[in-house]
Amino acid sequence: MSDTIPKPKPRPAPESIPYWKAAHEHRLSLPKCDACEQFWFPPSNACRHCLSPNFHFEDVSGRGKVYSFVTYHRVYRPAFAADVPYVVALVELEEGPRLLTNILGISHEDVRCEMPVEVVFDDVDADTSIPKFKPASA
Amino acid sequence: MNLSHIEPSRELRDTCAIVGTATSRLGRVPGVSSLDLIVEAIRNALDDAGLKASDIDGVLCRGPDDSYSHHQLVAERLGINARFGTTLTNGGASQIMSVALAIMAIRFGLANTIVCGFGRDTWSRTHVSEEARVKNETRPESMLAREFGPEYGYFGATAAHAFGATRHMHLYGTTRDQFGEIAVAFREHALRNPDAQMKKPLSIEDYHAGKLIVAPFGMFDCSLRSDAAGAVIVTSAERAKDLRQPPVLIKGFGTHNNTRGWFQDDNMVVTAAKQAGEAAYAMAGLGPRDVDTAQIYDCFTYMVLTQLEDYGFCKKGEGGAFVASGALRLGGALPCNTSGGQLSEAHCEGMLQIVEGVRQMRHTYPENRQVKDAEIALISGHGGNQVCHSTLILGRA
Repeated sequence: MSDTIPKPKPRPAPESIPYWKAAHEHRLSLPKCDACEQFWFPPSNACRHCLSPNFHFEDVSGRGKVYSFVTYHRVYRPAFAADVPYVVALVELEEGPRLLTNILGISHEDVRCEMPVEVVFDDVDADTSIPKFKPASA
Repeated sequence: MNLSHIEPSRELRDTCAIVGTATSRLGRVPGVSSLDLIVEAIRNALDDAGLKASDIDGVLCRGPDDSYSHHQLVAERLGINARFGTTLTNGGASQIMSVALAIMAIRFGLANTIVCGFGRDTWSRTHVSEEARVKNETRPESMLAREFGPEYGYFGATAAHAFGATRHMHLYGTTRDQFGEIAVAFREHALRNPDAQMKKPLSIEDYHAGKLIVAPFGMFDCSLRSDAAGAVIVTSAERAKDLRQPPVLIKGFGTHNNTRGWFQDDNMVVTAAKQAGEAAYAMAGLGPRDVDTAQIYDCFTYMVLTQLEDYGFCKKGEGGAFVASGALRLGGALPCNTSGGQLSEAHCEGMLQIVEGVRQMRHTYPENRQVKDAEIALISGHGGNQVCHSTLILGRA
């Protein structure tokens, strides 16, 4: 019956609304500082590198590598009962920031640190798409 | 001027002492609130010190994360007006921070004798119902993530720490056998402690047979859910001389917070124990070679291994081999968590580590629990979304 229990959907803070709006359009878009030109994540209203309040959202490559990962065997929320064992990974983007995510299209036993991955978008409903990652195509 | 350089004051070394310490009942104590548990621990600590509640003029106590102004509730139960009091909120790093704050308050004449303590009723809270068991322990709703986590099925402290374990295994070839030795060693210590929550022996085979929770962590990599409280009484070294117990001197303390985040930089493999330890060593005028016993914040097995490296007991990356050598066992090179730790005695957010450090310095244990000739104890506290850290170094007077 677990497929009838909805998984939690992101409840965006005001500063991350542009991130989720871009994701809905299948774009991975992160805050980038106008002053020092670096990206950061998660979104906030000042640059995490130089504290400049001037920034914009810019699309990134969607490519990165797995920095680290864990595999859930225990069911913490009934909505995920059908998914265990599932991987939650920390992906380091080519542009620098690290994102928590799931790795799709690969057995949990085959996920490795430093594995190259690329973004895919999971359309959970008409309004919400969640960025996830899969092993990079060659 | 170099703004990043600090020089911890050596003037604080040996100026204060812990003159009383105790715990409440530990483990499964149904029907007793966290507040009653900490009052029980404080009453026992006062008895241990030969003091009355009216001798206390400072209260630095903390309870579950959803309690407000906890020190005030404790002082009310003790029937005292505290000159100095507050509740710190650095998670498992708070308890040593409280002792550090007590020293500074005593040193600057704001109070004479301060009780520091922590109590929680996590076993009772999480076992009253299935819903409570699954619910994330004592965390209030305001502490739970709204995005960048729940939508991926990312919940709980186990996974957060497991990320560090995976990365450490990748970088240094650390193994679950090595994590297992930590769990097995601390269980063996707990079996010598009649107050410990865990009573059954644990073998490395049992460890590997334990079900996986969030890999690479299985159930025996994870600390306990406990009802537990502990307390220490801090006063000046001068006043300590006339009291009942042999005073245990506070040689040094340090703190550091990797507040850029657990997922940033290399913080999940090089913890804030590094800088906190360096500060504490500097204040104490000591180094890792001087430490006879370590009481390490063991929320998960891996956290012991990485902190041992960060404190300089072995090189970064060599924690696995260090642990596998049997160093952590009573009788080993660095007996660690000698009362069983949070993995096997009870989880009291680092408070019982302080209690055990004090007891080891008193040399009053029976032979099978005493670290032979121990003169210096190092104690660690870790918490606050994995990035807050504090270190305390104790010594015999």
